[in-house]
Amino acid sequence: MTQPIAMLDGPLWPYLALMLFAVLPTEIWRWLAVGFARRLSTDSPLLEWVRAVATALLAGIVAKLIVSPPGVLATAPALVRVAALAAAAGIMFVDKRRMMLAVLAGETVLIAGVWLFAG
Amino acid sequence: MSVSADWSWQRVALAGMRDALTLPAWIVGFGLIGIGSLARDVGYPVDVAVLSTILVWAGPSQVLFFASIAAGAAWSAILIAIAFASLRFLPMTMAILPLLRRPGQSVWQQLFLAHYVAVTAWSEGLRRLPAIAPHQRVAYFLGFANTCMAVSSVGTFAGYYLLGALPIPFAAGLLCLTPMFFLVSLMGGLRHRGDAAALLLGLALAPICERFIGGGFDLIVAGLVAGSVAFLIGRKRRPA
Repeated sequence: MTQPIAMLDGPLWPYLALMLFAVLPTEIWRWLAVGFARRLSTDSPLLEWVRAVATALLAGIVAKLIVSPPGVLATAPALVRVAALAAAAGIMFVDKRRMMLAVLAGETVLIAGVWLFAG
Repeated sequence: MSVSADWSWQRVALAGMRDALTLPAWIVGFGLIGIGSLARDVGYPVDVAVLSTILVWAGPSQVLFFASIAAGAAWSAILIAIAFASLRFLPMTMAILPLLRRPGQSVWQQLFLAHYVAVTAWSEGLRRLPAIAPHQRVAYFLGFANTCMAVSSVGTFAGYYLLGALPIPFAAGLLCLTPMFFLVSLMGGLRHRGDAAALLLGLALAPICERFIGGGFDLIVAGLVAGSVAFLIGRKRRPA
């Protein structure tokens, strides 16, 4: 457990820690983006590139959460985690509008898989 | 649902709320249930958990914050890890703001709008906003994003008291909702093969980089390489 910084410790420490070490390093990028985005038009190639990088980053987070899962998700065998994602992706591949069905199918595979193979 | 160009802003905001409640708000809300239980594990009060959802508004940052405290990481290391994990907001926010920008908007209004940028509002926004008349987009976006945030705050609060009590398969299912929905909503927003390439390359490269690049830089490297290659693939399609 990380101990509070002694000088700043007190009943308000959890709130202060949240502002300094979670809100600030997250929000700073959104603020910086406002400064940069004001000088760009919607169809600039730079923005296309930025969008591609952001899409790849998000896909990367998906892969990381599945390959090295947090907490209880780690009880699901790797094959079950991949199968669950593949089930959702398969439905989206056939019909892009079936988001709800895709999520439900993926979740069913995961929950059933954990039940069968990890319970 | 589609939004007609002559609707009042209230009706447009309501349409945004309704679209959020068809699925996305529930996914983010369920996805952030885990944050509540993590915050409780480190002995922080429930209002810090809920505030983290409202003020940080980024699942991965919140997970890093509470899980790192539990692991005893140095404050400076927590700060750097969260800064890197959140770097994606720079390109994401830059990509969505031009859709929301209006003549006469102040910097403060843009900073306020930028705060709502997170995976769901971003991917759903990019997908839905272009079909909405420019003067109605801000109302729609705020209706949509605030609904997601409200549902998520309730989810975080519930998780503080609930998650430990759930059977393991359901707890695992809740944690898996986050990557599942990220993927589904990215696939729903694909427009051309450049987008598809970014998605596939990102999926493939991230685990490889995680293996070989340390210090929290792996995701950024994977994103930059995969995104740049995908950008070139997407450009080739068009005549110069």
